[in-house]
Amino acid sequence: MTNVLSYVRRIVQALAVFFLLYLILQAAFPLELKIPVDLYLRLDPFVGIITLLTQKALIPRMLPAFGVLLLVLIFGNFFCGWFCPMGTTIDFFDRILFREKSQAKSFDDQSLRRLRYGILIFSLVAGLMAWQVMYLVDPISLITRTLVISVYPPIIFVYNQLLQRMLNLFPHNPFIFSSIPLPLFKTNLFIFALFVSILALGVIRKRFWCRYLCPLGTLLSITSRLRILKRSVTTDCTRCLNCAKECPAGAIPEGTPQSYRHHDCISCFKCLDCPPKAVAFRFTRPHWKAPTKVSLSRRYVLGSLAFGLFSALLIKTNPLQTDSGVRNNRLIRPPGSLPEGQFLAACTGCGECLKVCPNNALQPTLLEAGLAGLFTPRLAPRIGYCEEFCNFCGKVCPTGAIRELSIEEKRLVQIGVAHIDKTRCIAWDTEKVCLVCNEQCSYQAIVGDEKKRPSVNEEKCTGCGICENKCPVDGEAAIIVYSFGTQKKLKQEVSPTAKDKEGSTIKNSF
Amino acid sequence: MKDPISKTRFSRRQFIKGAVTAAALPQFVSLHSLLQARPVYAAADADMSIAGNGTPSQLLQAAMAPLGGMGRFVKKGQRVVIKANIAWARTPEQASTNNPQLLSALIKMCYEAGAKRVAVWDHTCDNYQFTFSRSRLKETARKAGADIFSGHGHNVYKKVEVPRGKKLKRAEVIRDVLESDVFINFPIAKHHFATELTLGLKNLIGIVWDMEQLHKIDLHQCIADLGTIRKPDLVVMDAIRILTTNGPKGPGKTQDIGQVIASTDIVAADAYAAALFNNPRTGKPFRPEEIKYVRNAFELGLGEIDLAKVRVKSVSAT
Repeated sequence: MTNVLSYVRRIVQALAVFFLLYLILQAAFPLELKIPVDLYLRLDPFVGIITLLTQKALIPRMLPAFGVLLLVLIFGNFFCGWFCPMGTTIDFFDRILFREKSQAKSFDDQSLRRLRYGILIFSLVAGLMAWQVMYLVDPISLITRTLVISVYPPIIFVYNQLLQRMLNLFPHNPFIFSSIPLPLFKTNLFIFALFVSILALGVIRKRFWCRYLCPLGTLLSITSRLRILKRSVTTDCTRCLNCAKECPAGAIPEGTPQSYRHHDCISCFKCLDCPPKAVAFRFTRPHWKAPTKVSLSRRYVLGSLAFGLFSALLIKTNPLQTDSGVRNNRLIRPPGSLPEGQFLAACTGCGECLKVCPNNALQPTLLEAGLAGLFTPRLAPRIGYCEEFCNFCGKVCPTGAIRELSIEEKRLVQIGVAHIDKTRCIAWDTEKVCLVCNEQCSYQAIVGDEKKRPSVNEEKCTGCGICENKCPVDGEAAIIVYSFGTQKKLKQEVSPTAKDKEGSTIKNSF
Repeated sequence: MKDPISKTRFSRRQFIKGAVTAAALPQFVSLHSLLQARPVYAAADADMSIAGNGTPSQLLQAAMAPLGGMGRFVKKGQRVVIKANIAWARTPEQASTNNPQLLSALIKMCYEAGAKRVAVWDHTCDNYQFTFSRSRLKETARKAGADIFSGHGHNVYKKVEVPRGKKLKRAEVIRDVLESDVFINFPIAKHHFATELTLGLKNLIGIVWDMEQLHKIDLHQCIADLGTIRKPDLVVMDAIRILTTNGPKGPGKTQDIGQVIASTDIVAADAYAAALFNNPRTGKPFRPEEIKYVRNAFELGLGEIDLAKVRVKSVSAT
């Protein structure tokens, strides 16, 4: 019975991870999956609560997260031990890398235990001050981002290499498989290093991240204090401490294995593997108090509060986060993005939009948008441009940092304007016939004069960046898209073919 | 080496020799297949025919007949590549991409003539997923039984020298185009601001990997030079509806011409189709010489620019 349950759990965990991988792979053209590809993020109560604080409004997309919170409130924390893809990944690497080491010595973790409460308090206070720290500490965002940015591209790279080897074996084969355009992301190594260092913490204790750092776990831990399914130990207990050693959450004190911190329990049921069969799980009445308290002193709580408050103030007074004129005018946000301040307060940096973008146009920032804007998406036209009939990024954004626009709306959003560098432009500089920008422009915003030299009509340019992308000049293009920090709605052109649509009004929300 | 077992095995040197031979052999074979003599043509009344009045399928049937039918070009068991124009994410009505019914008819005619496999290719400008679906050409090609491919992966190209090219010395060209038995160029005639018009020769830009780089070298000469790499066995020019402004991407004004031009001579086909458009500078129909790349191609000996010297036949489809 006990073994069966632990196998079932492992299978569920594996399925949850594979389902996340599946959803990430499905975040691509034609994006017709009935299940939202950002499902895991929408189920994340930490994201739900922080966005509630930063946006001062409930985001409808994030409602499922509160359902999870309710379930945890009743049944206890099943999320971390059964479904969290981050927890599963940590479990997996703890198992294959640190199996012996992490159990060797007993370890007094009373002071460490409160760390994650401090992080949660910090996050909540910062959230109230409109600085969300989800891009730093939210586990679901972290693992999604790592998979999209650091795991997916190498897989495609290897696939393309193998494909080429395979095709070389048949020089005359009638089957032609195009390689997949290789997705490129600037911050891949950094994000990978971050993820690996979290996994490496397992050398100290099993599930180190979950026990001492994860704010989502803390939130669920607090919520699950009133759980009704609880562990109980009979007098058959021989104090062999098997359970205390096995418990991935460290919820069973080594001194008194009969009791346990029920709020720390992640319901993995490993403790059922008890030699004298003294452990069972029973439905009991909810009980707030735990036998061992978390040593949260008033000083510690106030300290976390103050630290969060002050950090949020520093973010607010940082020149990159204000209208100070040092704003990066190459920082082009995807169409439908909220105004920069609100955008940063909502974007968790999960990377769903980076994955779904058919042209690999969206890149994660490092410091271009300041410390508050780490891993947020920006359009990098030289790598890819914004496809005219695509509105996928708004469709997959779990927090609505990029709003979902209809194709018609999206085609009228100006995310930037292209400027021609006449000293480098082939047509202006050398008299050759070039005009790649003119032929590629989807919005007829680039017009040529009699000598076939291009110029930009700023009334029509949406800043999609196809001109910058295709410009044949080496290195930096001779036509570059600049943003002005806000997105504008362009006037709809009255063309003879679009006359029937003239009557329909498009929400003027820019 | 004294080990008796190793004698029965390959030594490293032998292995490398063998591997090199195995790798090199197909190269020669494929070259040889390129140099093979063209099949003997059936009796043909014309080198170019223009069909009007009819549905796309009727137009194609009518246009092919004076050339000796599709059987003249496609033999039983041959592999056919059609270079269509699927460059832009535009709908068929906007006339920036090929007419789906015409593509369907063309594919079916190839199969009726005995083709083993028909592949439709284009290296698209907009993202291929969007161009394939919005132009409706993917579903059309699939329904007609053809494969449809986009040149978005670098691995489907092959580096070639362009010995006859004046400016373009080497290029990366879609391998399937080079190695197929029959190559059909299937352009749509339309306005193109940079080069005046997109015609048959211009359509060949879509078999190249780094298309934009050609603009940097010398666009007109490069287009002509591209024509020397693999001469299309047949040109089927889609002039059912043509885009007359805002080309090549559009949307712009369109004009229903209702013609299909079939030709063995790509320069002649372009010379004829050019006259379907008005030159905005002179206000008169384009003369072939006014399209610089057509003139350059003529000078390279790729075909005849003077239609008086070409056997042209106009037919009515109905």
